[in-house]
Amino acid sequence: MLLRASSQAAGEEVDLSAAVEDAADGGVEDGAVLTAFAEAVVRAADGLDAARARALETLGPAKFVEAAATVGIFNGLVRVADSTGIPSDAMMLESTADVRGDLGFNRWAGARASGVAEAPA
Amino acid sequence: MGFDAGRFPVPVREDLTTALRRSWADIGRPGTWWTGPERVAIAALARAERIQRNEPPWGRNRGEPDTALPEKAIEAARKIGADPMHLDREWAEGIIAEIGDARYVELASVVVTTVAADAFCEAMGIGPEPLPEPEAGEPTAERPDGMGDIGAWVPVQVVDWKRANVARALSLVPEGVRTFFRMVVAMYSGAATDFEKMVWDHRPLSRPQVELIAARVSALNQCFY
Repeated sequence: MLLRASSQAAGEEVDLSAAVEDAADGGVEDGAVLTAFAEAVVRAADGLDAARARALETLGPAKFVEAAATVGIFNGLVRVADSTGIPSDAMMLESTADVRGDLGFNRWAGARASGVAEAPA
Repeated sequence: MGFDAGRFPVPVREDLTTALRRSWADIGRPGTWWTGPERVAIAALARAERIQRNEPPWGRNRGEPDTALPEKAIEAARKIGADPMHLDREWAEGIIAEIGDARYVELASVVVTTVAADAFCEAMGIGPEPLPEPEAGEPTAERPDGMGDIGAWVPVQVVDWKRANVARALSLVPEGVRTFFRMVVAMYSGAATDFEKMVWDHRPLSRPQVELIAARVSALNQCFY
């Protein structure tokens, strides 16, 4: 998982549960603002306007644009993976083996394409 | 031209708007297996369905599709656009049996390009970009060499591949790869040399900040990859 690898490279300890919890900061600077913004866009939530305004105010224009771009492109990238059933890379599977089960990733439909599926909870 | 700088509430990097503009124009052009009008129809179906993503599929207002696309292509554009967490091999194989693997991959490439651009506009707080005018012309119908089975639902490039699998997921239609991954470079990864670094200095956000967003969006879509 690139979140953990990049945090370690920066000398930071990230809490990976931020990937699956609402508005969690994960120990990343402005993390809660970023995740709340991403959640509001993906969910087309009523609070999107407020989440966007908070992101812009907290991050400033340049970082806000990057956050919006990341949200946008990952909405495409997840569909590339999930529409083609592309298996995960071996290195990623190995590096996430210790956390996937706890975070619930192995119960998602796409886990079957990588041969690590667990029964849905 | 599309994605005009004046539409955005704050300044947007020129390389980003250029990539969006070029990929958007690609949607309207004849592809490898679909015509320009068919590609724009696919984009329109995905957009209309995704707008209603908070409604269950059976509760969405669809009306009569204004397109001559095959029924299975209409179904695929809608489902990939709005319900990516509910895709599975059996479903994909049913679609592919009707429209063919390369047409399915090209359809997916149009949908993901549309969704990424639309989600960016939503995040920025502006309305969706009008769909491009379709251009006349025939698809090239060129199937690339070097395709093989790595366990995906579709054939992918297998010759001398050293990058991440997701980058070859659409490789059965190289033009679709170029259209979408042009946006990936501008909106996420930067050049290959930047992507390999775990500490980024080419973007205003730190890499952990970018990857936190990426992880959260992936998890919300229940994307295992």
